[in-house]
Amino acid sequence: MAATNYKIAYVHLTSKIRQTIVALLGVMFGISMYVFMNSFMTGVNDIQTVLAFTSISHIHIYNDGPEDNTNLVKKAYGPEVLANIRNAKVIQYIQGIKNPEPITALVRKQPDVIALTPQVNINIFFRNSANKINGTLSGVDVENENRVFNISEYMVAGNWNDLKYNPEGVILGADLADRLSLHMGDNINVLTPDNVSKTYKVIGLFRTNVNGVDKSKAYLNINSARQLLSANSDYITDLQVNIKDFEKTAPVIARLAPVIPYKVESWQMANQQLEAGSKLRNIIAVAVSLTILMVAGFGIYNIMNMTINEKIREIAILKAMGYSSRDITTIFLTQAMVIGLAGGVFGMGLGYVLAVIVNHIPFKIGGLNNLPMAYRPQDYLLAFFFGLMTTLVAGFLPARKASKIDPVTIIRG
Amino acid sequence: MDNNTALKADNIVKYFYEPEKFQVLKGLSFEVKKGEFVSLTGKSGSGKSTLLYVLSTMDTDYEGSLSINGETLTGQSMNRLAAFRNQHIGFVFQFHYLLPEFNVLDNVMLPALKLKRYSAKEIEARAYDNLRMLGLEDQALKAASKLSGGQQQRVAIARALINDPSVIMGDEPTGNLDSKNTAIVFDIFQKLARERGQTIITVTHDEDFAHKSDRIIDMRDGEIIG
Ligand SMILES: Nc1ncnc2c1ncn2[C@@H]1O[C@H](COP(=O)(O)OP(=O)(O)O)[C@@H](O)[C@H]1O
Ligand SMILES: [Mg+2]
Repeated sequence: MAATNYKIAYVHLTSKIRQTIVALLGVMFGISMYVFMNSFMTGVNDIQTVLAFTSISHIHIYNDGPEDNTNLVKKAYGPEVLANIRNAKVIQYIQGIKNPEPITALVRKQPDVIALTPQVNINIFFRNSANKINGTLSGVDVENENRVFNISEYMVAGNWNDLKYNPEGVILGADLADRLSLHMGDNINVLTPDNVSKTYKVIGLFRTNVNGVDKSKAYLNINSARQLLSANSDYITDLQVNIKDFEKTAPVIARLAPVIPYKVESWQMANQQLEAGSKLRNIIAVAVSLTILMVAGFGIYNIMNMTINEKIREIAILKAMGYSSRDITTIFLTQAMVIGLAGGVFGMGLGYVLAVIVNHIPFKIGGLNNLPMAYRPQDYLLAFFFGLMTTLVAGFLPARKASKIDPVTIIRG
Repeated sequence: MDNNTALKADNIVKYFYEPEKFQVLKGLSFEVKKGEFVSLTGKSGSGKSTLLYVLSTMDTDYEGSLSINGETLTGQSMNRLAAFRNQHIGFVFQFHYLLPEFNVLDNVMLPALKLKRYSAKEIEARAYDNLRMLGLEDQALKAASKLSGGQQQRVAIARALINDPSVIMGDEPTGNLDSKNTAIVFDIFQKLARERGQTIITVTHDEDFAHKSDRIIDMRDGEIIG
């Protein structure tokens, strides 16, 4: 029986080929938009992530300063006792991470951790004669720093690895060098908060395209940084950690935070605006594409309804000859399904073509060359699935209406 | 009701409610024997078509009871009735209702493809047989909408016969045919009744046609008068 119903569906589809094509184009357009929008937004998010992770790690461990100990009275007597304390002083007994060896070892042992690097970060004044700029001097473990941040990719002059054997060398953000009128090989003077001053040599320039970093950051060998602070040979201020899947920081944090007596922070916690941005973009992409699919669904609904009104006599004849309600439903759902499947396949194709075209549009801001684009199978599969669902839902109501047609009322006229 | 009865109508009453309540069929009772060729006559508006739709099981909105081949059809589900029609009833409409997007052969084959008693190949052969009997074999692959009125009516008859139904009903099946074609259709109906024992119930305005058939049921204002 089924074969006959399919044959009837086929004849309906091909005899009104223009209507079929219009319905098909609707689905195709909806699905291609779904594919394109999601690919584009994912591309943008991925680029955002790549850019963001040139300056932040997945997990950051650092000394957050001592807890608020200014109201010791409250601690002893509870909140019902009023205390009036003025000009309380916070004294930080320990700066940086004390005894970093076991902490580093513990973190390295975690199965998800793929890279970690210690840092000695110092707030500093960069000076070149009268020019004076506030910024960060980052003492780094040259190899591990590169493993976490991939900084050697962003070098515009000099060689990242030169930092390893050059205790007098610094690598400057390109904009910072510009603002200080410094070039490769020039001297740069730094002044620490403790009024220690030292002169280094510019041995490299980098540009991450993250503005705040490029205009205020410089790298130094970690040992030189310790010397500058007169600190121990194991002194560190920050531990930067990367894990396999940057989205899955929560379980790692949950394991580390209780056993490490310092602040253990995920990039999501530190940069909620990044997460909010990427979530919002995803919502926009889904909203736009679902809207388009819905419009396409209405189109199909209308066309199917029209078809059924035109074919009402034929449906009545089929029923008079003994075709059941289910046969009629099958006939029209098959038509919707064919439109959905074909529209889905063509829509994925068109979506891919659109994605490739837009991906080639030049866009030279923030280190990009072209508009970003992601090519993920799941976007295509989901688009196909949604498209099929939309057509089936849109086709179901008219098909049911057709199956309920009473043959006598039509044939009697 | 004995084994020889093809169709039994018992006290069939039907109303139309639009534009106002109106009794079209006023308690009709009759039996038709197997292999009988019955003509249904009467003035226009006397309720012949309405009765035929009730007998064909398409119209279920009536009082009284109807049975065909000993099976009570009153009160059965729509899908069951559709299956019953498919197997046991061939219907020729007053206006030749073919499916215009299909060719002649497909139109004839469709009820048999639904019934699936035979393979598609056999069905095609049988459809050709029917078309040949009605002088249409050379039109088989034409679109149904390309045929003349008389040809379309004969295609509709070929379609009604495809499943070897035990009862063939026609609502003025020769209404659009010239006398030659009318004679052909009459001969076919008579042959089906005599040779294959199929029961024929057909509405007609053609006096000749009616008088040549086995029995006339004459109607007036929703009642049988003879
Ligand atoms: N769908 C309908 N609604 C209301 N009245 C109808 C309808 N169909 C037919 N009638 C009326 O029922 C009566 C019988 O009609 P019909 O069975 O078509 O007569 P016949 O076929 O004998 O000419 C007529 O008076 C006609 O006007
Ligand atoms: Mg009539």
